[in-house]
Amino acid sequence: MRVLLADANLDRAASVADRLAQASAAEILRLAPGESLAQAVSRHRPDVVIVDMARPDRDQLDSIREVASRHPSPIVLFVDRDDPAFMEAAIEAGVSSYNVVGTALPDVKPIVETAVIMFRRYRQVETELRKAEASLKERALIDKAKAKIMQERRMTEPDAYRWLRRQAMDRGRRIADVAVDILGGGLAVSRDRRGNHGDR
Amino acid sequence: MATDDVTPIRIGLVHLTDMAPAFVADAKGLFAAERVEATLSVEPSWANIADKLTYRALDAAVMLVPLAFAVALGLRGAGTPLVVPLSISQNGNALTVAPALADAIGPDVADAMAVGRRLAGIVAVGGPRLRIAVVHAYSSHDLLLRYWLAASGIDPVGQVELVVVPPVDMVAALKAGEIDGFCAGAPWGAVATQQGVGRTILVGSAIWRDHPEKCFGVTADWAERHPAGLQAVLRALLRAQHYCDDPACADEIAQLLSSPDRLGVPAAALRASLPGAAADGGVDVSRFAGAASVPRLEHAGWFLDQMARWGRFGAEVDRAALARAVYRPDLYEQAAGTKLVPMAGPERFCDGVT
Repeated sequence: MRVLLADANLDRAASVADRLAQASAAEILRLAPGESLAQAVSRHRPDVVIVDMARPDRDQLDSIREVASRHPSPIVLFVDRDDPAFMEAAIEAGVSSYNVVGTALPDVKPIVETAVIMFRRYRQVETELRKAEASLKERALIDKAKAKIMQERRMTEPDAYRWLRRQAMDRGRRIADVAVDILGGGLAVSRDRRGNHGDR
Repeated sequence: MATDDVTPIRIGLVHLTDMAPAFVADAKGLFAAERVEATLSVEPSWANIADKLTYRALDAAVMLVPLAFAVALGLRGAGTPLVVPLSISQNGNALTVAPALADAIGPDVADAMAVGRRLAGIVAVGGPRLRIAVVHAYSSHDLLLRYWLAASGIDPVGQVELVVVPPVDMVAALKAGEIDGFCAGAPWGAVATQQGVGRTILVGSAIWRDHPEKCFGVTADWAERHPAGLQAVLRALLRAQHYCDDPACADEIAQLLSSPDRLGVPAAALRASLPGAAADGGVDVSRFAGAASVPRLEHAGWFLDQMARWGRFGAEVDRAALARAVYRPDLYEQAAGTKLVPMAGPERFCDGVT
């Protein structure tokens, strides 16, 4: 079976391809650099296309059905329309698949499943990375806000942090969000505006 | 039913200027005021919108009208019943071609039919077929373009080649000579012009004046489960559409949409197709309120007739019944608090058909 693997993430594409090659007898085809999905499909004539849902040119596959009316062979289908739960899982992982020959291939599902597992694993790593980045960014914001408080209220660093924390608790908000307000001038720090705390 | 319940809804969007009403309803608290908790999800492709609606990763989307029908009919694989209780926008599309082709057509042609006749003359000479890209197989762009080509005596199937290219890749494809022209929403025509790789020869509203463009599609089961919630969502969007239609708000809206977590494109490019923008050729200005928000059965009928005309489906589809099942002016009337009146005048098409 010829499987076209279209993934913008090169690392992931390589590991999905490795995994698929181990798990099945499928021939794994890849996109040439800069090649669009439509071009790759007409060049390779694959049986199945596995595609990263983040690719904007996935829309081209919706029109391959039209090609089919002129050349009888390839018809695009969303694989596994009879298994919504599986397709939901695939979409959640960011992968979708197309059966290019139109008839259901009995051995497609394990291939798609393998891809889904790999995509999910990558997604998890990405999410963790993003969380780590966000928390670093938040820490930098809090430090900046703290510096502003220390200067304007002439406080020590621990006092400034306590003051910041108190503002967050009073408002039922996250410290980082309050820090953003302070830096943006939306929340006054100076002593004479203290009475305004109940504004929001 | 408790009226103080909060309604959560997941709405899919793509990177286009005419997504403005949904962004405005969210950012300006119009959803919140109706006790709607909207999660907006900007998707990279129309295929994602369709698949996520089908598999319930989205409850609703601002989408292309023909795509809504394609999903409802299951034309692109699995589908799901949808309802369209609201139209979102009018106009906004343009046909932009390579400078050499624009030169061949000439600079002094104003109306759509004159441009079409010049193009027909070029096509008649022969040579390789002109390749023109549209944004999706099931798009208003595709149907409007085909309508105009056919009205100009050009066979859109045999005499030109229509291909699909994502809007963000249009300018690069035109520059590389992979396509001779493209029909897409704002701001891509203006971007091509700015870079000197293309010139806009026709805007969508010259093919069908004030044509319906994006619609609000909701999965039928969500609409059924949340009748009051759907009304709240529609009221918020209607209010946002009024806001978006006010030229005085256009600068603010362009700023809002330009932020990286929304559309992430320069505010000036967005401003160019918002109400009140100068109509300086190449940009078709979108409208959002009034007639632009009404989901008329006549409009559904036009799109379905054109889809059938170009072989998207056969005689097995009962178009009138499908139009009534999907387009729901009754839900619109309820939300807007008005009774629909017949259209003020006839629809105006480039070939004089009304």
